[in-house]
Amino acid sequence: MFEALSYGFVQRALIGGGLLALFSGIISVFVVLRRISFLGSGIAHAAFGGVAIGFISGINPLLSAILYSLLISYGIEAVSTRGRIAEDTAIGIFFTASMALGIVLIGISRKYNVDLFGYLFGSILAITHEEALIGSVVIIFLIILIILISKELYLITFNEELAFVSGIKIRLIKSVFFISMAVAIVLGIKLVGIILISALLVIPGATAHLLTKRIVRMIILSCVIALASVTGGIFLSFYFNLPTGGTISLLLAVFFFMAFLLQRLLRDGN
Amino acid sequence: MNAIEIEGLSYSIGNKEVLKDINLTLQEGRFLGIVGPNGGGKTTLLKIILGILKPSTGTVRIKGDSPINAIKKGLMGYLPQALRIDLNFPATSINVVLTGLYGEIGYMRFPSRPHYEMAMEALRTMGMEELAFEIFGNLSAGQQQRVLAARALVGHPEILILDEPSTGIDVVGQEDFYHLLKRLQKRLNLTIIMVSHDIGALTGYVDEMACLNRTLHYHGSPVHALTEDVLSRLYGRKVDIMLHSDACEKCARLKRE
Ligand SMILES: Nc1ncnc2c1ncn2[C@@H]1O[C@H](COP(=O)(O)OP(=O)(O)O)[C@@H](O)[C@H]1O
Ligand SMILES: [Mg+2]
Repeated sequence: MFEALSYGFVQRALIGGGLLALFSGIISVFVVLRRISFLGSGIAHAAFGGVAIGFISGINPLLSAILYSLLISYGIEAVSTRGRIAEDTAIGIFFTASMALGIVLIGISRKYNVDLFGYLFGSILAITHEEALIGSVVIIFLIILIILISKELYLITFNEELAFVSGIKIRLIKSVFFISMAVAIVLGIKLVGIILISALLVIPGATAHLLTKRIVRMIILSCVIALASVTGGIFLSFYFNLPTGGTISLLLAVFFFMAFLLQRLLRDGN
Repeated sequence: MNAIEIEGLSYSIGNKEVLKDINLTLQEGRFLGIVGPNGGGKTTLLKIILGILKPSTGTVRIKGDSPINAIKKGLMGYLPQALRIDLNFPATSINVVLTGLYGEIGYMRFPSRPHYEMAMEALRTMGMEELAFEIFGNLSAGQQQRVLAARALVGHPEILILDEPSTGIDVVGQEDFYHLLKRLQKRLNLTIIMVSHDIGALTGYVDEMACLNRTLHYHGSPVHALTEDVLSRLYGRKVDIMLHSDACEKCARLKRE
């Protein structure tokens, strides 16, 4: 345990990963309650297109991925609210088109390197000083922002018409939430990779929801579960030389099934 | 002063005209009942008054102002028809009532002690104090409606808008609920608009009745709404069965009076 902590890269992974865990813990509650996990995983896959654009153009791939994801979320929203296309259909189209764009662009550039693998499966133990610093500042800002709008987000999630009649600016709050979610997803790619991002976005909230029906407790539990999985996953992968993203996601799944069994036992007990 | 003024209002979805040529004025402190068949446009009219939907033509004034401004001032409380809420949604009764104060509390602030006290007071008014910390999804339909009514009232609105609030409530509970509304109307000089299926029960409580089926077929004193002429224009021939069934014994009685 202490030996791992003496390594700079482990320290950076723990700080960056820990903050990101707290942030996804909060976001996850609303993703689960709004039932938009498919949108989340769609945005993550679409981000691959943004990563490829970054590779080709020389822009930082995380930055291009964030911008590209925001564009895609906006596109999904625009197509599904103005056109006659269901939202899940729009997500399916944008997500595969972006993933395909990424694959073709990377094929053209012929840069099949380890980095690419990192984006698919996560590379938290490889983050640089600069990435850790910028990432941490961004995440702390977003955590504060999401807490500040959590009251409105809660009411919109409960019922949009009631929120409207209470005078809440629904579009504004939803935009802030979707932007935050897109940033969380793209940064989460560093942690667990595109393929496993849904684990981070869905499982903490879903597990907490099994254990409580009180909103504040649910958010706290969700953060605790995300934090335990991320730090646990980083340590385990360091000592047993396992892929970090996979280990974190497996730990999340273990928490979920434990909560599921616990909840069954408690329910059958009374 | 007029609480609500609607002029030349119509509303279409695609080329389907849901509401047509609606003119309606309601004075402050009055209790208006709206009845009409399913699909007659009652919910749509309420949503236009609340500013949730924009009319295709015509204007709506709430105390002389637009619905959007009325909402900003917190003038209106709303109890929607069927809330399709996940039974597992993490909310207690008091959480739900507190959301009725979110507009007033404002952005980037959180409910504090006085807000909890206001929420408790609203629950007490609705006789739901004891279930304040119960999970909303675990309540019966009638109890949920009372919590939602407490939510609509908690911000002290001047106009209360209720869309079929008695759905899922037994007859006794329903009459209690109407009594309660009547008392609130008198005590707080509330303007109330309530949509209901049950003409018979409504007649005893409201000051005015409006009969809506795409357009307003009647607006005036509740007793005269029960003439066969008005009702058959509103419901078609089925009204005959309705008037003479046990379910509407009260309509028949009121009609005779
Ligand atoms: N989103 C919608 N899309 C299409 N038609 C709708 C929609 N909402 C309501 N309608 C139609 O508008 C009409 C009025 O509906 P509504 O206001 O709910 O009536 P009521 O509340 O009197 O039962 C109905 O014919 C309904 O089919
Ligand atoms: Mg209706």
